[in-house]
Amino acid sequence: MHEKPLITISSLKKYYPVRKGFRDMFNHAKQYVKAVDDVSLVINRGEILGLAGESGSGKTTTGEIIVRLQDKTDGDIVFDGHPLEADSKEDAKRFRKEIQMIFQDPYETLNPRFNIFETIAEPLKIHGVKNKKELLKRVKRALEIAELKPPDHYLYSYPHELSGGQRQRVAIARGIVLEPKFLVADEPVSMLDVSIRADILNLLKRLRKDMGLTMLYVSHDLSTIKYLCDRIAVMYLGKIVEHGSVDDVLSKPMHPYTKVLFASVPVADPDYKKQRIIIDDEVPDQINLPAGCRFTPRCPYVTPQCSSCSHELFEYQPGQFSACIYRDEDLTFNPDRLIQE
Amino acid sequence: MSFLDVTDLDITYTVGAGSLKAVDGVSFSLRKGESMGIVGESGCGKTTIAKGLMQLLPKNGAITRGSITLNGRELVGLSKEAVRRLRLKEIAMISQSAMNALNPVYTIGDQLVEGIMAHTSFGNRGAYKRAVEVFEMVGLEEKRMRSFPHQMSGGMKQRAVIAMALSLNPSLIIADEPTTALDVVVQDRILHRIIKIQKEINSSMIFITHDISVVSEICETIVVMYGGKVMEMSPTDTFFRRPFHPYSLGLKNAFPLITEITDELISIPGTPPNLLLELKGCRFNERCPFAQQKCAVELPLFYEPEPGHKVACHFPERVEEFRERSSHRDTWEVVRERLIREYMEKGAVEYA
Ligand SMILES: Nc1ncnc2c1ncn2[C@@H]1O[C@H](COP(=O)(O)OP(=O)(O)OP(=O)(O)O)[C@@H](O)[C@H]1O
Ligand SMILES: Nc1ncnc2c1ncn2[C@@H]1O[C@H](COP(=O)(O)OP(=O)(O)OP(=O)(O)O)[C@@H](O)[C@H]1O
Ligand code: SF4
Ligand SMILES: [Mg+2]
Ligand SMILES: [Mg+2]
Repeated sequence: MHEKPLITISSLKKYYPVRKGFRDMFNHAKQYVKAVDDVSLVINRGEILGLAGESGSGKTTTGEIIVRLQDKTDGDIVFDGHPLEADSKEDAKRFRKEIQMIFQDPYETLNPRFNIFETIAEPLKIHGVKNKKELLKRVKRALEIAELKPPDHYLYSYPHELSGGQRQRVAIARGIVLEPKFLVADEPVSMLDVSIRADILNLLKRLRKDMGLTMLYVSHDLSTIKYLCDRIAVMYLGKIVEHGSVDDVLSKPMHPYTKVLFASVPVADPDYKKQRIIIDDEVPDQINLPAGCRFTPRCPYVTPQCSSCSHELFEYQPGQFSACIYRDEDLTFNPDRLIQE
Repeated sequence: MSFLDVTDLDITYTVGAGSLKAVDGVSFSLRKGESMGIVGESGCGKTTIAKGLMQLLPKNGAITRGSITLNGRELVGLSKEAVRRLRLKEIAMISQSAMNALNPVYTIGDQLVEGIMAHTSFGNRGAYKRAVEVFEMVGLEEKRMRSFPHQMSGGMKQRAVIAMALSLNPSLIIADEPTTALDVVVQDRILHRIIKIQKEINSSMIFITHDISVVSEICETIVVMYGGKVMEMSPTDTFFRRPFHPYSLGLKNAFPLITEITDELISIPGTPPNLLLELKGCRFNERCPFAQQKCAVELPLFYEPEPGHKVACHFPERVEEFRERSSHRDTWEVVRERLIREYMEKGAVEYA
């Protein structure tokens, strides 16, 4: 794979102002949820990047900013050599065509009153395709790529007539009909049954292979990331804490949060000797952040030095970056953090 | 006689003019202190079994055959009131949606204390003490007793629900997807907490999930269901080392493992059978790559490859061959092609 960036994200920030209660009325300091806080990421052409992390860590927000469903607070995103700002109408239109997103819930994302043809033809129409024959041809091709075959069979059915897996395929067909360069898939299989899940994962893999599609795959499920992705980035409270190749990160996680996350994944193998790491499972305070590393209140390896951590990513091993101030081999359990089950 | 014996259980739902058997001739036993996982695709009858055991079936659902005995006592046919008392004292249920059922206008503590007082001879003080105890067991601080549900995270609410379920020392815990919507790290802690407490109070547990890896980690036995029927039942370790049933082999294929590199996942083509239709033979025969003529007409009986391990397939002697062939994609692709052909001929749309 040639390592040419398709997307370069630099110092991306998204702060949500917090609505104040009565008690805070006289407290003038503005408070924010720093949903995405100084995130920099590169996604190479033809690559699938997995974005994992704690619930509420900012994965969806990051994805939605890239597809411009949300505005950023600060930072830069360069897509295919052009800054992702709506400076020129042309650029804006091009980005809308070339960057697509599919969502978790296939039941909610399709308009129940549109049949499948209308659903998939809509983005084409928005982008100026009017010729009926052309529309039909391209919709059918998208259905075929999404493995709804033969396409004629599905064109005039409605979402409620389809199974969950079929609906997600329709959503994918709609996502690829404009032949985008980049697809954000936010938990696309987490609502689906096992066997259908396997099919959709295979389909996403094939899209990359056949169409050269670049993807950001957002998921809390490390097993599917391992299966689908080339690289992985792990988020915690708005920060990237680790990134690297899937093989490296998931065979030897470096950042303490990644270690904990990895150790929490259930494994269907009775011969696998798992090392559990138990941490406090209370959801962290998103507004009053600790000084230094944001994982300090829960980290099992914490030391007094951790309050000086700036989340700078160190390349401790070629291609593998961690925001922990310690190398993997220098981490030792903090006895005060030992939690008995 | 075991602690819990379910024998030839049928549970039927009436829908319009017809009916569907969501649970069809299910039998299993549970020892005191044993934890059993029930897995299978959506709609295979897992929740229906749980509701049947709790006698919480909706109006259009009923146990139409079979027996459920708990500690030797028959539950099928008991009066509503008797069941209610039993349910609250002996059987506790933790469901995925339970945390949404918390009353928003009372504190968690009030709800817990009231529940304990209603079903024990504890007074206010005693009930409060017990509440703090179970709060500690699930890792919630005493001060959380004064929180309202909206002041707690999903994981905390789910822990509060578990505390409520366990506050009366139930002898049977039924957990129906109790952690499905939670963060992975939170899920891991809650799962281990549930089994720790279950062991401590030596209660038996039925754990329902669609995730076989969760069962692998926390249950001693596994029951694989399909189309309302048990396909395979086994000690968990044996199951993951030597699955027998073609459906189990397919299920295992479909799960990516974090400990292994998988080139391409193999899925089970097709969808589970429509229970509204009259079904004959092995429920899995339409999707099974090894099905023979016999499979479509004759219901396979259980065979026991080893004690405690039961499999409902017509071909016990071909297991080795099935295991080998099921690991190849082509084996299942043949089924996919056949199914598509058949669906086309019928002119139906429904095909996953
Ligand atoms: N519109 C909004 N207004 C205020 N806060 C928001 C908004 N959207 C998201 N947030 C907050 O931003 C943070 C990040 O949310 P986000 O949805 O990106 O997380 P996530 O990593 O996708 O989590 P999950 O795994 O649960 O989907 C959360 O704390 C969330 O509560
Ligand atoms: N109240 C009801 N009326 C009619 N049919 C029902 C009712 N509840 C469930 N069913 C049907 O009974 C079958 C079994 O449903 P059940 O909810 O027990 O499945 P499940 O294994 O728990 O599935 P899931 O994994 O989706 O929770 C399904 O075919 C379902 O459609
Ligand atoms: S009985 Fe027949 S259809 Fe059923 S699993 Fe065995 S081989 Fe397949
Ligand atoms: Mg999200
Ligand atoms: Mg269910």
